[in-house]
Order: sequence, then C-alpha cells, then structure tokens
Amino acid sequence: MKEEFTPRIIYFLCNWCGSGGSETAAAHHLYYPENVIISRVNCTGSLSTVQMLRPLIEGADGVVISGCHPGDCHYNDGNFRARRRVALVKSILSTLGLEPERIWFRYVAHSEGRRFVDTAVEFNDHIKKLGPNPLKSRRDT
Amino acid sequence: MSPRRVGLLPRGKTSGEGISDFLRGMLDRGYFDAALLPMRVPAGDSFAWVLLSGWAAQDRSLLSAAAPFAPVMPVQGAKSLSSITRQGKSTQRIVAVMRPCEWRAAVELSKLQQLDLANIFVITYDCPGVVPLSDWLADPSGAKQLWERALEDWQGEGMRPLCQICDRFSMVDQAGSPPDLHIGLLGRGDGRPLLLAGSRWGEELLEECEVAPEEEIKDWEEWVREATLRRREKRRKTFRELSSQVKGYDKLLQTFGKCINCHNCMRACPLCHCRQCYFESSALKLDPQNYIRRAERKGGLKLPPDTLLFHLGRMSHIALSCLSCGSCEDACPMSLPVGQVVSLVAQEAQELFDYSPGESMEAALPLVAYKEEELAWAEKPYLETYRAEGRS
Amino acid sequence: MAKVWRMEKGVEEGMRELLRFLLRSHKVQGVISLLKLPDGGVAYALITDQATVQDAVPLYPLMPTNAATVLSRITLLGSPQEPLAAVLRPCELRAFVELVKRKQGSVENFLFISSTCGGVYPLKLAAQGRVKEADYWIAVRQGEIPAGIRPTCRGCNQFLPYNADITVKLAGNRELNKRCDLILNTEKGEEFLSGLEGEIHDEEAPGEEVKLLLQKRGEAKKELYEELKSEELGLSGLVDIFGRCLNCHACGNACPLCYCELCDFDSRDYEYDPSTYLAQLAERGGIKVPPNSLIYQLGRLTHMGISCVGCGMCTDVCPAAIPVGSIFYRVGEQVQARFDYVPGRDLAEDVPLTVFKEKEFQEVGR
Repeated sequence: MKEEFTPRIIYFLCNWCGSGGSETAAAHHLYYPENVIISRVNCTGSLSTVQMLRPLIEGADGVVISGCHPGDCHYNDGNFRARRRVALVKSILSTLGLEPERIWFRYVAHSEGRRFVDTAVEFNDHIKKLGPNPLKSRRDT
Repeated sequence: MSPRRVGLLPRGKTSGEGISDFLRGMLDRGYFDAALLPMRVPAGDSFAWVLLSGWAAQDRSLLSAAAPFAPVMPVQGAKSLSSITRQGKSTQRIVAVMRPCEWRAAVELSKLQQLDLANIFVITYDCPGVVPLSDWLADPSGAKQLWERALEDWQGEGMRPLCQICDRFSMVDQAGSPPDLHIGLLGRGDGRPLLLAGSRWGEELLEECEVAPEEEIKDWEEWVREATLRRREKRRKTFRELSSQVKGYDKLLQTFGKCINCHNCMRACPLCHCRQCYFESSALKLDPQNYIRRAERKGGLKLPPDTLLFHLGRMSHIALSCLSCGSCEDACPMSLPVGQVVSLVAQEAQELFDYSPGESMEAALPLVAYKEEELAWAEKPYLETYRAEGRS
Repeated sequence: MAKVWRMEKGVEEGMRELLRFLLRSHKVQGVISLLKLPDGGVAYALITDQATVQDAVPLYPLMPTNAATVLSRITLLGSPQEPLAAVLRPCELRAFVELVKRKQGSVENFLFISSTCGGVYPLKLAAQGRVKEADYWIAVRQGEIPAGIRPTCRGCNQFLPYNADITVKLAGNRELNKRCDLILNTEKGEEFLSGLEGEIHDEEAPGEEVKLLLQKRGEAKKELYEELKSEELGLSGLVDIFGRCLNCHACGNACPLCYCELCDFDSRDYEYDPSTYLAQLAERGGIKVPPNSLIYQLGRLTHMGISCVGCGMCTDVCPAAIPVGSIFYRVGEQVQARFDYVPGRDLAEDVPLTVFKEKEFQEVGR
C-alpha cells in the first residue's frame, strides 16, 4: 500500500507570460499546491538541457516548464528553442528508461491564470500517481 | 552524389603505400603545401597525427613512417584538424587523410565553428574499423593481424565495439557533402583501390589519373551496400541487446557505477570543444553543507558527485552530432561502454530531429534551428479545465 | 611509545564499527570512506547514515579518485559546520594538505583517519573485476608488497601518514584479521574514540614490521627507477616515452594537485593561429598535431612536481599507458629533496616556490 507522498516539484516560469500567468491566478484567488516550487527564469529559451536534468537527478520528483505561446515569446524565438530542448531531454530519458513523463512543457499565457493553476495541480496529481523519483534516493548518482 | 570522375590508384603496392606515394606525388607537384596524416611515433609503438610540409615529405625515410590507414585511432582526426584551424583558416593547401567518421566529425565541428575547412583537401577511405588502443598497446602484433584481417574480410572482429556496428564506413549513397576524394577499398582484393571524387577540387586532381571502368565502380558499390546492410542488421541487434542491459534506473546506474569521473570520454570526444566544460566549472562546486544535505537525504553521497548529471548532460550537449566513432569508449580507464550508450541515445535523438550528423554542410544543427510548428508531442496538451479528484 | 586503541575485531569490521560509532554518537555528522556500490564498484562516499556503513569498505585496496580531490571539492567554499571524519591513505592526506596550503580546501572540523598503507591496485584491475582482496591482505599482514599494485605504491616510502589523528596499523600487522589497532596520534583522535569499544595500550610505534617494509619498499623503488633510467632519457628518450601522448590531459585532471579550473595548457595561450602552425611547419618540416605534448608534460611537472605525492592516479587514467606517475614522482622527489621539502608533512610549511631566502641557491644565476 503506497502512502501518500508529497512530491517535490520545480515549476520553471518565464519572466513574461509564465509569471504573468501565476500573477493572474493570484489576482483571481486561485490556489496551487504548496509543494510546487516556482523558479522564475528570464525565458524558457534560457533554460539549458542540463538545468532541466539537474533537478530530476538531485531530488525533484518532477519538472514543469511554462512560457509564452509560440509567436508570443518576448525574445522572439526562445520558446521554440525550449521546445526542441525539452524534446531532446525527453528523448534521452526515454531511451534510457528514466521516465520522460516527469518533465512537462506547456504554454501559459499572461492571462491564463486558470491554465497555470490547473497545470500545477494536474502535474502534482500525476506525480503522486507516478510515485517518488527513484533517482533522488540513490547515492550513486 | 552526382556522378563524378573515378580514378584508380597504381597497382602493385599495399593500399597504404599506394596512398603515401599518391600524396608524395601531389606534394612534389605542388598541388598541396602540406599533408595531415597519421604517422608512426619515433618509438614505433603508436601513431600520431602529423602535419607534414611538402619539402619534408620528399624524405623517403620520413614518409615510410606515414600510416594513412592506421590500425588505431588514438586521436580523432577532426580534433587534430580543429587544433590547426580553430583560430582561423589555413592559407595553405593541406591534404588530410582521415576516416569517414573523422570527416563527419569535421563537418559537425565546422558547423560548431571549431574548425575551418577552407583550403583543406580531405581524402577518406573505406574504414574497416580500428583496434581499441589498450588492446594495441597490450599486443601490437596481434592487434595488427586482427586489423589486417578486418581489412580483408570486413567482419570487424577485434575492432572497437562501435566500429563493429558502424554502417557509415564508406561513401556510397551519401547525400550532402562528401569529402573531396574517397578511396574505395572494399572488395577490391589485390585490385587497385578506386579514387572517387566528391568535389570539383577532387575531380581536378584525378584529371591525370587512369579512369576506373564502370563495372568495377558498380561492383564496388554493390559490395559496400551489402556490407552496409549486414552492419545495419548487427547494429539493430546490438542496440536491442544494449537497451535491455542499460534501460531503467537500476541498470543505468549499474552501468555507470564504476565511473570515476575522470572525464576522459569528454576529453577524447572530437565534439566536446568547450574550453571549460560546464561539468568542471564552479557551477558544480558548492558549499560543504550542500554535499552534507544531499548525503543526509540519501543516507550517503558518492564522491565526487554528479556522475549521472555529467553523462546525461554531456549527451544532451553532443548526442545530436555524435558520429559513434568510439573515441570516448577507447579512452575510458574503467572500460565502461560509454560510447555505446551515447550512440544508443544519439540514434534516437537524431531520428527525432531527422538529422544525420556530418552528412551535409548545409543542414543546420538541430538545436540552433526550429520550425514554428513541430514536436507537438513535447507539449502537454491542455484539453479542458482540469478538475482534481475531490475538488469542486 | 604511542597510544594504541585496540578493538578485538578484524581490521575491516573494526573500521566499520568505528565509523558506525562516530555516527551514532553524533561525534561526526558524516564520514567519508570508500563504499561498495550496487554494481560492485567501489567509490568514495559521504556517509551520514549508520545503516549505510554496512556497505563501507574503508580499507579497500583501490583509489578510484584521489581523496584529496574529494575533500577539496567539499571544503573549497568553506568548512563543514559539524565535524566530519575521513578515511584516506597517507598520500591522499599529504595531497590534501598541499591543496590546503594553496587555499583549495580546509582541514577545519575534520577527523583524519589514515593507515600504514599497503598500496592500491591499478584501476584497470578493478575494471576487469580482478581485484583479489584475500591475496592483498595476506601480503600486507606478512609485511610483503602485494603483487600487482601500482608501481608508485611498490616503491612508496611515505606510507606512514603525517597529520592523521588516527592511524590504522596495517602494513606488517600479523594480527590484523583478529585485532584492529588504531594508533592515536593526537588528543583529538583520543577524544573522538572515547566511548568506542576497546582498550588503550602503549606500544612501540612504528614497530619493527614498518622498518622492514620500508627497506623492502626502498629496494622496489630502486628497481623501479633503475628500469626507468630517467637521467639517461634526454630529449629523444622523452620523445620516445611521450610519443604516444594524446594530449588528452587526463593525467592533469586526475591529479589531486592540478586544481586550476582552466589549465594554462588548455587555454588560448597554447592554441595557435594557422599562420603560426604553417610558419613552424616551414622550419621544422613536421608538427605533431595537436602539438605541445612535451611542454605539457614538462610544464605540468614544473607546476606541481614540488608537491607530487606519487599517488599514481595519472598513470591509471592515461589512455596511452604512459608511466606518467613514475616519471613525475621520480623527478618530483628529487626537486623536493633540493628544497628539503616533504609535501604534506606540515601544514605550516610553505610551498617552496612561494617563499625564498635572500641567500640560497647561489650557484644558480651566477
């Protein structure tokens, strides 16, 4: 019988739409789980593949990345690059059997407060079902 | 590859001597100013890349140490070429003899702006593979025999594991940017190796060469295609087996359990060119309490830490350009199958982006390009407002 | 005479009990020791949980990384807030002290446990699964040099640790499978052990067995250097030995003393424009590419030779099987002798190349 565990989730939000989404959510008094930790980055395109991998190896149970929709990136094409990098990281994880489902990439616009909160809640539930990340308890990483 | 001129090397010599003579002839006649090729080191126990000037190449005793087809590859040829032209382009014409994987790595490095191919004339050849360096050092004559046999039967026994499953060892049916010249050896037996031009410069050089008969070219192409299919089958089988051995948290960490974090793999890899590797930088040098906290969380922390991060991170950096040359695996002091694992990941990642590294100079590196609509599967779709269980 | 803490347990189990004791008595927050990993590999680890100690193999005859590198990584930015214990070999401790002198770490809040070391096996043996622990301990007990250990270990005469709070009696200790003897070198060592099972005895230390082994090691060293004949190498000899060098710099990376984040020889300083290559080519006729094998080796030797402890990591990681460690230690020892310097002997002793006297080496620069 699995005990309910509280996932440790890192949610990368871009400075513009992503954080905007979270602020809109706040304005509408929408709540997201406390165990989802927000990390603001300038642009999803500023995230390197290593920054996506490192939390998963070091103790996070899941990583979500949200930024502007295609075409809306403050820096024009950062989100396109981010999409390719996420695809690459998922491919690597998938080839090596390391649960690519622990990384999500979803666009969230400035006004999409509901979408932001839903993503956080949905991912939290999803990770609860998946269980703790086996890597975080391994000493030999 | 549009039909270009195909010449023949002179008969009566081993391929190695034949190509050395050909090079010396080219240097004598001033077609090139220098040559870049492997040569036996003074002690005779290994091979190193040497940039040889035209006048020095006239010295027969020096040229006898030349080993254009060396049985080992201690340094990947693209790395050597990069060390010459990283800071700028060569103003003199240099002819370089390298393996297909070394040429392809050079194409990738050129896209990464780590070398300049201007004025470099590249000759590749059908490569039977190379003997792992440690095997060569342990038993040079035995290794030489294995390699000579590989050159004859193209079965690759005793060669690097990655060489044994390489399906890019020749230049038949290669779209994109072929090298200036390619030497066809497969199936030629005692016959004369073919010289296939891949560029206009290559054709110019073959102007005075005897032209190869059509049937011989066709025969050779068939030999290569057959051998390529066999290799592809072996590659599929090997990767299926490998996948079952490394896939999953336990198996993967077990595979890299003996890793001592020496980073030799990164150093040997032609594609790893960062002057300071992220994984050796101060980004990963943290407060003592960080290590202690991590150890407490897990009951212990392997030191130095970040082994898996290094390997996965390095894969995310170079997998899309990986040529499966196997230099990383050769350099590993713990004999880890690092090249095979990276190649396994690379194959899937390259397929994902429909990218074939080293094939075309024009094809942009996948991570610097993008399409406005693509990879929809990487996004998590938001179909409807999510209602968590138990929430209204 | 020395104080020796004796546990009536074999040395391996005794060490594990010591580590468990230190953790459960909260005298330390963690211990750094070799640990057996799930796949059978052995690596250093920071252990904070008593349960994990069952997999600890603190005296395993392998050096997957020089512990000095590990300790420097942990203490580069400061000292641990609570004490940590570390089990490491004499050369590793010496190397760490040399690093601390260069501000690459700190000894604060550490309990250092070392041993009269019997040597370690080359990494290749571990990679091939050929480490025979039983044979190793038989040789160590008898005061013999185990067959197949690193060449620099064979000839090592520095197997009595400096700066260790506790020294485990290994070399020549015929009772080590029954008794774990811990020489208490400092009061700190004694304090940390109080409460541990066992008793204090007074003993002659180092004992006769150590003197005998010193002799044997001295002979092995002579043999090693006679084979090497470094004084007769000359330029052609050096070119022969380092001809195989790939310029991978793995040796520098594995070396505990080479800590520069960007090695000078990896920097732009040693990367040439094509025009430089071609100009040199016109003169010399041929250039090994990448170049700078010899300058790298000799340069690195001049940079760290004064502190070389002969651990032999460099030889083990070299893909071209060059006996780097033997050459470096040979030259290193001679350089150290000229300055009457033993690397790692005393934290208060300055690294000779950082200080000078007004009147010395008068024969140089006349």
